[in-house]
Amino acid sequence: MSRRRIGRIVGRSIVVGGLALFVAVTVAPLLWLVISSLMEQQALTAKPPDFSAGSFTLANYAGVFAAAAQLGQGFANSFLVALFTTAVAIAVGAPAAYALARLAIPGANTILLMILGTQMLPGIVIAIPLFIVMSHLGLVDTRLALIIVYLSFNLPIVIWILRGFFLAIPPGIERAAAVDGATTAQIFRLIVLPISLSPLFATGVFAFIESWNEFFFALILTRQSARTAPLVISQFAGQYQTVFGQMMAAAALAIAPVVALAILFRNMIMKGFAEGMVKG
Amino acid sequence: MAEVELRAVSKSFGKVAVCKSLDLQVADGEFVTLLGPSGCGKTTTLNLIAGLEDASAGDILIGGRRVNDLTPFERDVAMVFQNYALYPHMTVAENIGFTLRLRRVSREAMRQRVAAVAESLELGPVLDRVPAQLSGGQQQRVALGRAIIREPQVFLFDEPFSNLDAGLRIKMRAEVKELHQRLRVTSIFVTHDQEEALSLSDRIAVMREGRIEQFGTPEEIYARPLSKYVARFIGSPPIEFLPGEIAREGGDLVFRMGALSTALAPAVAGGLADPSPSLELGVRPEHVILGSHGVPVTVRLVQPMGPATLVTVAWQGGTLIARVPGMAAFKPDERVHVSIAPEHVMLFDAVSGRRLAIPG
Amino acid sequence: MGTLEQRRRRAGYAALAPALLILVLILAYPIVDSMLLSLQGLRAAGGTFEGRFIGLSNYGALLEDSTFRAALWATAYFTAIEVLVVVLLALGVALLLVHPCGRFGIFRIVLLLPWAIAPVANAVLWKWILHANYGILNTLLTALGLIERNVIWLGTPGLALHTVLAVDIWKSVPFIAILLLAGLNKVPPVLYRAARLDGANAWQQFLHITLPQLRPTIAVAVILQTLWSLRIFDLIFVLTKGGPADGTVLLNFLAYRTTFNFLDLGYGAAIANVIFAVSLVLALGYIWLLRPGLQKAEG
Repeated sequence: MSRRRIGRIVGRSIVVGGLALFVAVTVAPLLWLVISSLMEQQALTAKPPDFSAGSFTLANYAGVFAAAAQLGQGFANSFLVALFTTAVAIAVGAPAAYALARLAIPGANTILLMILGTQMLPGIVIAIPLFIVMSHLGLVDTRLALIIVYLSFNLPIVIWILRGFFLAIPPGIERAAAVDGATTAQIFRLIVLPISLSPLFATGVFAFIESWNEFFFALILTRQSARTAPLVISQFAGQYQTVFGQMMAAAALAIAPVVALAILFRNMIMKGFAEGMVKG
Repeated sequence: MAEVELRAVSKSFGKVAVCKSLDLQVADGEFVTLLGPSGCGKTTTLNLIAGLEDASAGDILIGGRRVNDLTPFERDVAMVFQNYALYPHMTVAENIGFTLRLRRVSREAMRQRVAAVAESLELGPVLDRVPAQLSGGQQQRVALGRAIIREPQVFLFDEPFSNLDAGLRIKMRAEVKELHQRLRVTSIFVTHDQEEALSLSDRIAVMREGRIEQFGTPEEIYARPLSKYVARFIGSPPIEFLPGEIAREGGDLVFRMGALSTALAPAVAGGLADPSPSLELGVRPEHVILGSHGVPVTVRLVQPMGPATLVTVAWQGGTLIARVPGMAAFKPDERVHVSIAPEHVMLFDAVSGRRLAIPG
Repeated sequence: MGTLEQRRRRAGYAALAPALLILVLILAYPIVDSMLLSLQGLRAAGGTFEGRFIGLSNYGALLEDSTFRAALWATAYFTAIEVLVVVLLALGVALLLVHPCGRFGIFRIVLLLPWAIAPVANAVLWKWILHANYGILNTLLTALGLIERNVIWLGTPGLALHTVLAVDIWKSVPFIAILLLAGLNKVPPVLYRAARLDGANAWQQFLHITLPQLRPTIAVAVILQTLWSLRIFDLIFVLTKGGPADGTVLLNFLAYRTTFNFLDLGYGAAIANVIFAVSLVLALGYIWLLRPGLQKAEG
């Protein structure tokens, strides 16, 4: 065999090995999550764990659903908060993104960079003042408080990503519409929005996922009634620290919807967000 | 009446002056081209007339009315864009009818008018398609249709054919010319393609760095350019310049360039105030005659082009390209004679670039 | 009513105003307020806030505070190592995915999974994996003969911080890999072809073409990862609550604990502002890097 061929085979083996390793390391913990959620406590805590067929059960999920009130409440809260904050972020952010992309706002780039800059800050910086304000307003432990506070990261993300998409629309189309007699609002409504449905939706999904997964503000601003799914999971981990299978079942349920969304919209998420963060 | 007039119109972006005090008068129904290389300000000028951009100074008048403060729609102009700029999510019918929809014209009236315009452009069969499903030529015709249905006072064209391949370009040019003959709407056309300008226009404004260098009929621009810049822009292959000086040969004024000297028409010679400021002779390749009279030269290069052949000849001190009709049978290193008809000789001041004017 | 440009600009103001208003209320105001808070000795007691202005005493106290200094040091250490390891590993993963063998969509799905999982759920999962008695990690290592006794990953001083570090690296590498992958895909393939013709082998191509072209993306990745490392919270809260013996107390967590457990709002705000200041410098760096790529708004 020629030196080149050997080199190529070795090279390819390294790559394939590397890919296999990457997939294994990334997927293994998640696989374990699902597997443990389906195993009985005794099988899990045996040394070594008992993987025989009899150890597998749906009892953990049943147990979680028995504590359904908490989890259900967490899910409902997460869903409503994520839905509404995303809706507001898009409703307010899309026109703002259009303005910054196309409507020649003086200092647009400065505004944009400031908006971007705020995303670099740790939540703790604004959490304390916001907590005080919400306390004064009596909004602690309400979904409304979360919806508003989540806008602090949803709105900038929406603006940033959508601005990138709006910039990519050929300006000639909007000019043609203007010459045809459309007002700016009509151009936005009749021309820009209809051709941006895909990015709009993907951005919404992205914001929804980020809102669903958020923990820090939820921890600070909710107590009982507005608890979101991540909070419930964390509490389960505290309460059920000995029934591991149930803990995993709860976690699995909490992440399932979001994982499904991420997989469905992976292309747009990767394209929009990653490129936006790199290119500006 | 839809005359278009620019009075001392300027446009700057920040510190950069793109249009510098333009004066232009386009008569009603006239087809005028703004011609120039990229960056000369022609597209900006068009945008100023359209109202897509605001002028920094000066007055823009359409039909005698000052329109500086009006939107494009209020100015009653329609525009055909480079890259067509069709609405990608709308059908051909919706694209053409969009302006009517904005004016809340009834469905039925809209349908009829769109159908009529589509017919005249042979777009009837594709009314229900979206732009992505159309050929380049069809898309351009939809863009035309969108403009025609407006029945505007002025048509504006922003390099509409630069994206088309050569054959399509020529076809679309003919359609636009035919359209203009039919509708007689004042039209202002922007291009960097001098052939396009020559074939379409009643008058051409040759632009350079934000100013109009010359505004005249194609014939004037071609035969009587005001400067080297204008002369160079029109004609393919372009005009050639040879440095030299005036001299007397046997009672006649001639222009001498090294070994080559050529007689000057009395009209040209008469316009010279003082012999020998630094001068250049300009001659178009189609006016360079190869034959048995004139200065002996050697053939350097022969490039057949189909309807003509470009022959490069050289002599001690210079070279020239001659455009000879047909597939001429010259060979490299052949010895021929070259001459220039005096009436086709142009003299230019080498420093200012201005053509030396003929008096009277 | 105005020219087209004027009307569009006015519409732009109207379109931008609601968003800016919200952002000012939710972001600008709290940021400013946080500064003010840090200048007060503010405590929360029995549901009310009581405090008085004490100037920069909070910051002065920070300098003396050994817990703060320890957290500062731990955070710096944690961040530096995490950024280095994450960027290197992510680069490796990105390179693997750019190779023809890695073209399949399934790999990109795998990339997205760790990001999509709620950080809390992730923490809960790892708490289970790292469980001293029953966690699968100890079980596997024992079965492979690599350890004799169960390691208390999250309870051993020194080890705990590195365990948290490893978990966060696991979560962070994929997304940075996505960033780097986007950058890699932008390298014009024709450069590689030209290099191959010039006789460069794979390593040389990597060194002289890939790396230089990738430099801006790597810079962005470094800054982003640094900022994210500074914000780590969910993991610490679930895995260790700062233990053992404050061994995993990083700055962000410290600020939280000071404010919401010890109820010393002013002091907590001061810590938060320290994080803020560092993040701000980094954010400015990020913005400066993006500057050339920022497209001008076209009307």
